[in-house]
Amino acid sequence: MLKLIIRWLKTLLLKPDKNAALRRFAIFKKLDSFELYQLNNFLHKRSFKAGELLFDKDYPLEMIFFIEQGEIEVVGNAHPSGYNILKKNQWIGLIDMFHENVRSSSAKAITEVHALAISRFDLSDLINNNPHMGVKILTSVCESFSKYIFQISTPRDSSLSILSSSGSSEPR
Amino acid sequence: MGVFFYRWIFANLVYAMVLSYILDPFVSWFERRRIPRWLSVVSVYLLIIGILAWFTASFIPDLVKQGNYLFDIFKSGDQLSGKYIVNIPFVNGIYRFMQDMDTKIPGLTLAPKMIEILDSANSALASIPKLLMDNYQNILSTLSLIATIPLLSFFMLKDKYKLRKAALELSTNRYFELCVILLRKFDTTVGTFLRAMLFEVIAVGFMASLAFGIVGVPNSVLIGATAGVANIIPYFGPFMGGALAALTLLINGGHIITIVYAALAMYIVQVIDNNIVYPLVVGGTINMHPLLVLLTVIAGGWYGGIIWMLISVPLVYITYSLIKVLYTNLQDFRII
Repeated sequence: MLKLIIRWLKTLLLKPDKNAALRRFAIFKKLDSFELYQLNNFLHKRSFKAGELLFDKDYPLEMIFFIEQGEIEVVGNAHPSGYNILKKNQWIGLIDMFHENVRSSSAKAITEVHALAISRFDLSDLINNNPHMGVKILTSVCESFSKYIFQISTPRDSSLSILSSSGSSEPR
Repeated sequence: MGVFFYRWIFANLVYAMVLSYILDPFVSWFERRRIPRWLSVVSVYLLIIGILAWFTASFIPDLVKQGNYLFDIFKSGDQLSGKYIVNIPFVNGIYRFMQDMDTKIPGLTLAPKMIEILDSANSALASIPKLLMDNYQNILSTLSLIATIPLLSFFMLKDKYKLRKAALELSTNRYFELCVILLRKFDTTVGTFLRAMLFEVIAVGFMASLAFGIVGVPNSVLIGATAGVANIIPYFGPFMGGALAALTLLINGGHIITIVYAALAMYIVQVIDNNIVYPLVVGGTINMHPLLVLLTVIAGGWYGGIIWMLISVPLVYITYSLIKVLYTNLQDFRII
């Protein structure tokens, strides 16, 4: 009986993690519930119709987009292997964030796209003001970049098999 | 037209927004310590209420005593003529000085004019209680409207991110990033300016309290704090702080020389503020020529009194910054 009461109290106190779905993006996979809650405060849901431009080359770089649904074509500095279609659980704008103030390529929605957008300044502030969270995000970003560099430095045939198994990455 | 008719509500919203900008860093400090936002806001409010309660408990008894003394003077209405008031010790010194001047300079008649002014001031002061009673409804409604400001600010602080998201959801994809940039610029400009002003208020309040305490002004902490708040108004605020200290000394029967010392103390505080505090703290956030600041303050005062003297400079600066950022980004995003 006591166990039943304790179990019932736990269901009241332990609320379901509303932001757990954000862990599907590789750079957020190590964040705990409160950190995801803090991150979610800065995420904006945006929808783009098929054929709509997300941004053009040389636009000021402001937002980083995380794709929830749909496909985006990146035009401009495409991946040397020609891989320039971004799909679900991938992101765009993160690489440029660290060294550019303008977009190095343009992005267009191929199908209807639902994405989460965060300002790069908000992300920087989150990283700087919350060191533990910042370390986790930056570690995940470095892991993703190292996978990407490994992919582009290996021969094409073996890189395709790596791409199909590694998950998220981002062409320039 | 809606904004015009409901301008009092919008004015309260603006005041609540100002309060929420000032309190936001403290709320964020709690939030970074993994305290949920609603609890962080409640904690900050409890702290402020605690500080106000301590302030009130420390200084209200003295203020009530002085208020009762003034009230007793007002109650003796018929006796409170100009000829009676000049016999009060701290006024008698000024009256005697004026009589000396009248003797030395023929035809000056300063002393009779002082009695006339005191008579007219007495009749004006005697009508204050009746004025308050006749307008009690307006006074109560104004007070209740002012009381809603902390409540509005509470919800603005608690739901800051939700309000921001809701505002940005209204923008189309073409203008989304532009709106984000403008909102961030507004946040940065307003927030930084308000927090710099708050720091300056605290610094001037602290220095003024210390200076008045050394000089011997009664209730130096309260007078110093009021002088710190009045200092917000550029060029004219410091005079108000000094005038309040002088008035307090006069009411408490202080010597004329003490008023001179209080004025000197306020002057020293202003020198430190203008040469060290303001350039370091506020000067870095606002890049306006002093002549432009003075003209803006005068125009604000002419338009809407003390409140507009207070808000005119930040309003002009924020408007200028936003227009500049908007124009640059409209070009960068190839909208114009």
